[in-house]
Amino acid sequence: MTGQRVLVVDDEPHILRALETTLRGAGYDVDTATTGESALTQAAVHPPDAVILDLVLPGKSGADVCRELRHWTQAPVLILSAVGEEREKVAALDAGADDYVTKPFGVDELLARLRASLRRATTSGEPVIQIGDLRIDLEKRAVFRNGELLQLTPHEFALLRLFALNESKLLTHQTILREVWGAAYQQESHYLHVYVSQLRRKIEPDPSRPSHLLTEPGAGYRFVA
Amino acid sequence: MRPTSWLQREWAGAAASVLALTLVTGAIYLFREAVPVLSLGVLYLFAVLPVAALWGRVYAVLVAVASMLAFNFFFLPPKHTLRLEDTENWFALAVYLVTGIVVSELAARARHRAAEAEQREREEALLAELSIALLQGEQLTAGLDRIAEAAARVLGVERARLELTDEAAPALGEKVLALDVGARRVGTLLMPAGSEPDPSISSRFLPALASLLAVAIDREELEREALAAERLRLSDSVKTAILRAVSHDLRSPLTAIRVAAESLASSALRLSDADRRRQLDTVREESRRLDRLVANLLDISRLQTGAARPRRELVGVDELVGQALTELAGDDPSVKIELPPDIPFVEVDAVQVERVLINLIENALRFSPVDENVIVRVTTSPIEAIVSVDDRGPGIEERDLERIFEPFERVTDGDERRGTGLGLAIARGFAEANGGRIWAESRPGRGSTFMLAFPVAPAPVRGET
Repeated sequence: MTGQRVLVVDDEPHILRALETTLRGAGYDVDTATTGESALTQAAVHPPDAVILDLVLPGKSGADVCRELRHWTQAPVLILSAVGEEREKVAALDAGADDYVTKPFGVDELLARLRASLRRATTSGEPVIQIGDLRIDLEKRAVFRNGELLQLTPHEFALLRLFALNESKLLTHQTILREVWGAAYQQESHYLHVYVSQLRRKIEPDPSRPSHLLTEPGAGYRFVA
Repeated sequence: MRPTSWLQREWAGAAASVLALTLVTGAIYLFREAVPVLSLGVLYLFAVLPVAALWGRVYAVLVAVASMLAFNFFFLPPKHTLRLEDTENWFALAVYLVTGIVVSELAARARHRAAEAEQREREEALLAELSIALLQGEQLTAGLDRIAEAAARVLGVERARLELTDEAAPALGEKVLALDVGARRVGTLLMPAGSEPDPSISSRFLPALASLLAVAIDREELEREALAAERLRLSDSVKTAILRAVSHDLRSPLTAIRVAAESLASSALRLSDADRRRQLDTVREESRRLDRLVANLLDISRLQTGAARPRRELVGVDELVGQALTELAGDDPSVKIELPPDIPFVEVDAVQVERVLINLIENALRFSPVDENVIVRVTTSPIEAIVSVDDRGPGIEERDLERIFEPFERVTDGDERRGTGLGLAIARGFAEANGGRIWAESRPGRGSTFMLAFPVAPAPVRGET
């Protein structure tokens, strides 16, 4: 029993029922809602540790719900999306959602993503992050690969720092641009592509086949160990 | 003009000339005592004028000459000879003759002008009629015979036929007139051997006819292209809608099934017996829903290709409703049924009408709040049995009440969650194929009612009680 509270929001009653039963079987306390409005009420009454949110809802969309949740809670939000909803998916991720799974998803995949999101939410800020062969010292602004100091520009470091603090979380182009370059640069995706490829050349053993800094087509980037 | 009618005309002219001459001569004979006979010669103009007006100048001149001879012979001394005593009589006769000929010439000219005006009027009438017909979107090919017939009348030939290909195949000896607009051959006018259309009429009339036909042909061509483009667009939007249906609407039940099935198989989860039953129910119900979605996709394609011919039989409406509910939800407690004491019978394809009812009830369940009932009510009038499905959903705007029966239309555009948009289109297709009708009524904000009506069939004979 994890005892953590998960709010599941979907307008398809059968999906809702199947998810509720499954999550309960995995040890979570489960609340459910079928509309965006009732989800927000539900979340206010029983603040959840994580939210599983269908993208397309009657009334308020998943992205709207996400944006409003972010006003007062940092509980991770996992989006349920379907093929053909890429635009809405990116909008929800930009609005603060943490990750997504694509319908029809497997139970193992969903539970793994949920666990990862919950873990991220509970890790406290450490000054030194070790990810695979990389050691990132946030205070000294230094990065080592296999003990060897890497020469990074300030922007490259800021980018790597953001990725390292959000390990295995999907970050959209807009989010990265906003965090590293500032709100005025949110649409300048080409900046990002240039810096990501520079960063890959410095931190990846094989930059043409990245193993840390992964591209999520049409959505953003994900940093994994 | 046909030879026989020409001959008839000539004979009529000759007979009329003789008749006119005789009548006037008779009249002079009657008046000869009362009036100086020489002045009566002017009466012969009454013979010359009508003949000139009706049969032309040849007859008029002949009548004028014959009149003077008759006048001389019968009335001027010495009578019954063609000799004349007085020179003044010679003078009078000459004046009458010249007057007669001049008058006949004038009359003939007037007659010619009238005929020409009439001819032009005919041409203009035909062209006007043609342009009206073509502007109103009449099919050109359907009107070809009528146009050819009218053209024959205008050209003064016995008959004609019109071909729109540039390579008309004339029968042996047929006269061929090309209809050209600039260098473009619009069509060909063919007429029987020996036809002699007036060249002055042809040169005036045929280019006008050709231009009109060209406009009509171009218009039809454009219309065809527009139609083909529209068909392409439609079939494209059908494909898009089916793709969307497959990508979204089939994924929802699939997701529920996959989650439920995998949770049952997973050793990491701890499920109670009740939970296991719930997951199994989900798998079962969602599989059926998936099956219905696929059936809907098949139905709509059958309806669109006209392959859904109903096999009609006598069946009680209660049975149709019951079957639909069994197929749909087993014993969903939120569906209430109200039946009249006398169950009406209808003659329909039971399978198809069940599908109509399933789609209506499924829709109502989808739109109704969870804690509200859907009411299926059967009522009868002397002529119709009506099944109404009542929900407490959001309702439908007045302007959407008909649109929702179109394939792939949803209540609100872009509202992805409301199903494929096929259910109601299929419902209407099957209802109408079975001689019924279907419509929606709504009180926006308070729910909708979908009505399905079929003519009442005589109930089967029941056993004596």
